[in-house]
Order: sequence, then structure tokens, then C-alpha cells
Amino acid sequence: MKKNSIKKETLHEVTFTLNGKKVTCKIKGATVLLDLIRDVFDLKGTKSGCNEGECGACTVLVNGAPVNSCLYLAINANGKQIETIEGLIGHDGTLHPVQDSLVQSGAVQCGFCTSGMAMAIKSMVDLYETGQHVPGDIRTELPSRDEIKKYLEGNLCRCTGYVKIIDAAEKLFAKEDCR
Amino acid sequence: MNFEIISPTTTDELLVAIEKCQNRHFRFGAGCTDLLMELKKNPADDLTVINLAQVVDDRLTNLTKTSKLYRLGSMFTAGRIVVNDELKTHFPVLHESAHNLASTQIRQVATVGGNLCTASPSGDIACALVALGARCEMLNTNGKSRSVAVTDFFTGPRKTVLKSNEVLYGISVPLNNKETAKIYSRFIKIGTRRSMECSVVSLACHIQTDAKGVILAAGVAIGASAPTIRLAKDACSSLIGKTFKKITRKEKEEFAATVLSYASPITDIRATAWYRKEVLFNISKSIFE
Ligand SMILES: Cc1cc2nc3c(=O)[nH]c(=O)nc-3n(C[C@H](O)[C@H](O)[C@H](O)COP(=O)(O)OP(=O)(O)OC[C@H]3O[C@@H](n4cnc5c(N)ncnc54)[C@H](O)[C@@H]3O)c2cc1C
Ligand code: FES
Ligand code: FES
Repeated sequence: MKKNSIKKETLHEVTFTLNGKKVTCKIKGATVLLDLIRDVFDLKGTKSGCNEGECGACTVLVNGAPVNSCLYLAINANGKQIETIEGLIGHDGTLHPVQDSLVQSGAVQCGFCTSGMAMAIKSMVDLYETGQHVPGDIRTELPSRDEIKKYLEGNLCRCTGYVKIIDAAEKLFAKEDCR
Repeated sequence: MNFEIISPTTTDELLVAIEKCQNRHFRFGAGCTDLLMELKKNPADDLTVINLAQVVDDRLTNLTKTSKLYRLGSMFTAGRIVVNDELKTHFPVLHESAHNLASTQIRQVATVGGNLCTASPSGDIACALVALGARCEMLNTNGKSRSVAVTDFFTGPRKTVLKSNEVLYGISVPLNNKETAKIYSRFIKIGTRRSMECSVVSLACHIQTDAKGVILAAGVAIGASAPTIRLAKDACSSLIGKTFKKITRKEKEEFAATVLSYASPITDIRATAWYRKEVLFNISKSIFE
């Protein structure tokens, strides 16, 4: 870039709900949601793994749907509900059933993939509870292991602890009063 | 990665934004899954992104039906295709292609328009749309629209007929034949990992038969086998009038050979050209099983 062409960048104001709280901030056009969450809001539970949509460590929920925050423009969070792993835990510190199930099943090794897994699993459980059709065409009473696997295809665990992660999800569905 | 961004909220504002950018380097951003990957790898100087995600316009974001066709707004996402029962019933190949695209997370944001405009030879939804004989509707800054068949939309890898003052507005898929009693649909994606972008080869087919099993219409498209996704036209027409269940082994092989004549695969890190041809021949034969 030419030296004298350093121009002032336009900042854009965005307002959204982050884990239930309304927040407003100014961002550059190219800021991705992952960086906004980690660097501006200092919520480090959302991880940066591959930074290219492959691993799911950066999964957050946008209006309830799981997205890769590393490939999501922060400007499009405007007006939306964003949930991160920090939003799962209760005010009194109790673990969310999804987190609890992951712990109980021994599904956490190094833990790097865990917050992304938890968010993806939570979105799947929510879709079941509300009786909505799940992306992945899951309409049976309880999802099969294969259906859970298909749903979690975008979440990699480099410790390869998939069996226990799927166990954790499966137990949740068995417990929930799903349609 | 750095760029300026314009986020129009109506189609009028969008057209004004496109007009304003005519002398600048600009790109559209829909779900941005391809765009951000590209810009992370090759940051561009002085780029403006026209953000389509905040435009409120049913014609851009929704599905509509007329007496002749279904029309998807270009911002319709893969995730919404997957959960749509009507689309699944009428165009199972479209459903399958969306269901096998990337991952749950990517499907929430990845759009049909983005899959077409990226013009990847291995675009999954694009391949299904070629088999379905879909058309692309483009809107220009004067508010005029024109449409071309998806097969003519692609001019090369990453190249389309879109002009600099045009945006892809919608995609229309013709309704099935009135006499259609059964649809034989296949979406076959051969690759190293199921949810990877680049298939080694892919094949989409949508074959309609009447109550007696006689083929009324057939669409067969191949991906990752040529610079663009191709409709195997002669292979399709060779099937008309035949009874699906009674196609002989010899006919299957002739059909597969005809499909193969549309392929000009390359050798790259994923597979050799020879391997791609072998696979394509075999999967073409297999659609009748
Ligand atoms: C991890 C990963 C896995 C993937 N797996 C697959 C896969 O399995 N199969 C597959 O087919 N693809 C895959 N992709 C590629 C990509 O997700 C799809 O092509 C997707 O459909 C692109 O849609 P988008 O809305 O994100 O496009 P964007 O990234 O927003 O846009 C893509 C291109 O099209 C242009 N564009 C978008 N909309 C318009 C419009 N309306 N008018 C004019 N130009 C427009 C943009 O300027 C850009 O050049 C994958 C990508 C990633 C990151
Ligand atoms: S960091 Fe976003 S998918 Fe890997
Ligand atoms: S527990 Fe280590 S990456 Fe999954």
C-alpha cells in the first residue's frame, strides 16, 4: 500500500444481544465475530482452531443456529442474539445440562474442541425441544447416533474423543423430553 | 484481511451501492464462507464488500412457487433447503446436495447464490441445479433483469456471465413433468472427506418416470470433471422413452461412456485424471442400481 494512502477506516456501530445482555460497539468492516467475541468482549471460551471453517472450535449460536464465528462477519451480528459458551452456565454457577453431560461422560480431554461441541450439541437439543425440523433431516423421536454424528460433522476433536462426545449428546436426548 | 463494507438494507439501496462501486474494486458478500476464506488467504487492497446479508427483500431471501416453477432467492441458504419438505419431495437431488455441503455450521449461512457465483467446478448445489435445468436471474443497476440457464451461467473456473453492474437475484427450477409418478434421484460425491469442499468427482441426477416406469425427462450433471459443471446432454436424451428398471447392462455402459465424453478432468493433488475418469464411469453406471 502507498504510504500516503493510509486513510481513516470507517467504523460501524453494531448492537446485539450477547449471552442475554444488550451490547453496542464499533467495529471495522472486516472484523469477524470470533475476534469481536474474544478480543473486544474478552470471552475466551470460543476458540480459534483452524480459522477456516473446518474445525468448529469457534462455534457460537446466532439466533439459535450454530455458525463458525471465524467465517461470520461481526457486522451481521447486528440485531441478533449471540450465545457463546460463557452464556451456558447458570447465574449461580451450575453447569448447563450439555456441559454436565460432557463432564459426566468423560468427553473432555484437552478441552480445545469442547466449547464448540457444547454449542453445537445445545443447538441440536434446542431444535428437538421446540419440535423444529433439524438441519440434517432428523425427524424421528430420538436422534440415532448416526444423526448426531452427521449434525456434529463440522466439529473436529484433535484428541479424537468422539465416542464419548457422541455418548454425551446421546444421553442428553434420552433424558430430555423430546418429541 | 481488510476491506470497507457497505450494508444496504433494501434492493434499491443495493442497486445504488453497486452503481457507486462501478469504478472501484468490489465484491459481494452473501454467506461469506467462500469470500472470507479467499480474502484471508489473499488479502486485497482497497476492496469494498457489498454485504447482501442485511437486504430485506423476499425476492432475494425466500422461496416462491408459480404454476411453472419454484424460485429461490439467491440468499436462500443450504440449511433452509435441507429442512424444506416441498423441495425435498420435488427435487430430492437439490436436498441431497445441500445436505452434503460442508457442515451444519456452514449450511446455516452458505447461500445458493454464493455456491453458483463462486463458480467452482465442484460446487454441490450448483451441480444439482444444472441437473434440474435451473435458470439464473440477474438484476442490474437499472433495475432490469435477465436470465440464463445455469449451464450457460458458468464460463470457466471461478468465472460467470455476471456483468459488473449485475447481482444474482434468484434461481428458478422448473416444476416436474405433470405425468411424473416417480423420481430417481442421485447425488454422488466422491472425495477424501465427506464434508470437504473439493470433491474428486461428483454426479447429480434427476430422472422422472411415468407410472409405468418410462423415463419422461432426465438431467445428469457432473462436477469436478471439467473446468465448469457440465450437463451430460446426450446422455440425458439417450434415456428418454426407456424403462428405468429395464435398462440393460450394455445400455448402462453406453450411457456411462456418453457421460464420460463430457469430462476433461485434470490431475491434481487429490486425484489423477485417469482415476477421476474411472470413478465417473462407474458412478454413472451405478445410478440405475
Ligand atoms: C469449510 C468449508 C467447507 C465447504 N464445503 C463445501 C462443500 O462441501 N460443497 C460446496 O459446494 N461448497 C463448499 N464450500 C464452499 C462454500 O461454502 C459454498 O460455495 C457456499 O455455497 C458459498 O455461499 P456463500 O453464501 O458463503 O458465498 P460467499 O462467500 O458470500 O460468496 C461466494 C462468491 O460469490 C459471490 N456472490 C455471492 N452472492 C452473490 C450474488 N447474489 N450475486 C453476485 N455474486 C455473488 C461473492 O462475491 C463471492 O465471490 C465450503 C466452504 C468451506 C469454508
Ligand atoms: S476456527 Fe472456525 S471453524 Fe475452525
Ligand atoms: S478434547 Fe482435545 S480437541 Fe477435543
